[in-house]
Amino acid sequence: MSPSQKKRFAIVSLIIAGVGVATFFSIMAMQSSFEYFKTPTEIKTEGFDAKQTYKLAGIVRKGSVFRLNDGVTQRFDITDCENDITIQYTGILPDLFREGQAIVTIGKFNNEPMLIASQVLAKHDENYVPNEAADAVMLQQANKCNDTDGPVKY
Amino acid sequence: MNPITIIWNFLSNTYHRLGSPREFYTISRYTTPVFGALFLVLSLIGTYFGLFVAPADYQQGDSFRILFVHVPVAWMSLFVYVVMATAGAIGLIWRMKMAFVVTICSAPIGAAFTALALMTGSIWGKPIWGTYWVWDARLTSELILLFLYFGIMAVYYAFEDRKTAEKATALLSVVGVVIVPIIHYSVEWWSSLHQGVTVFAEGGPKMPPEMLLPLAFMAFGFMFFYGYALFLSMQNKVLDNERKSGWVRALVNNKEQQS
Repeated sequence: MSPSQKKRFAIVSLIIAGVGVATFFSIMAMQSSFEYFKTPTEIKTEGFDAKQTYKLAGIVRKGSVFRLNDGVTQRFDITDCENDITIQYTGILPDLFREGQAIVTIGKFNNEPMLIASQVLAKHDENYVPNEAADAVMLQQANKCNDTDGPVKY
Repeated sequence: MNPITIIWNFLSNTYHRLGSPREFYTISRYTTPVFGALFLVLSLIGTYFGLFVAPADYQQGDSFRILFVHVPVAWMSLFVYVVMATAGAIGLIWRMKMAFVVTICSAPIGAAFTALALMTGSIWGKPIWGTYWVWDARLTSELILLFLYFGIMAVYYAFEDRKTAEKATALLSVVGVVIVPIIHYSVEWWSSLHQGVTVFAEGGPKMPPEMLLPLAFMAFGFMFFYGYALFLSMQNKVLDNERKSGWVRALVNNKEQQS
């Protein structure tokens, strides 16, 4: 490399390094605002503000889903296998909703405390499984919390 | 001479020949159709195996098959950016004409890949997640990438002088490369609605081989499509950039005599 090329190489490297460092620090400063949802354990330890809207994700607790007498409101618990939070939702649940499925619920807490969800989204995970193994995988997912005691990732 | 030296000399020779607009034009006349043919063959095989041979997913049924387009184009949206920024850096440091051409011609192709990734993901999201769009880290950073591509294209056309335009475009693409690791790691660093890594997951792909194989065909197919589209666009750009030089004039005159 000629001296002028070396100089330009240094300048370009410095720009990349500078932008990288600046981005790193801004990301570190805004870390929590990049999170899409909170887990039941985070709510239990941090508490909640009744005025704020929360995005809360967890696994649908086996055997917790039931329908209220009005016929359109469902109530169920979501869990990270350590803490549970009860969700109430009026409306049509996503097709993937079932026991053991990770879901994201969006809504506000009431005093019980229970999250009154305005939206329920299914959180599809990174696993792809052929159809014939469906029953086995779904059973394993529904019983996920039996095998672990700590909080699980989803 | 040992084989490594021969290969190295061949590669270095090709690299330097491609650095000359005229040589590039000659070489690309032969390689471009090859890329196009490889794209067609690989993607047709991938489409057949993806639509008819791969089994349906246990919970998504047949709608999972959109991943055979979504995943390759999303990978390409990042791959094209890395190529574009690397070419930009080479152009800035070594003042190589052809490197700038690579950067400028890659931007619209990368933007198209990014837009396709966002659209296919959105179409898939409605039946699976229950929503077309959420502002989670992965989706938002990919959207920023789309606007970055648009910005790079806009910067090039904002300058009257081509040399200034080329340098400004290259600089913006180099600066923007910081988005690539953010998009890639967004699903690991933060909680998101978008799922985590499947194919390059720790401990191997979380997908059976009969789904992985068509995905691989599609991924390589789209890579050749990039090569094909890039070289076509570069041929055009080279002719436009060099329109005052002797060889382009001779080329045009020959074409006129033939017709």
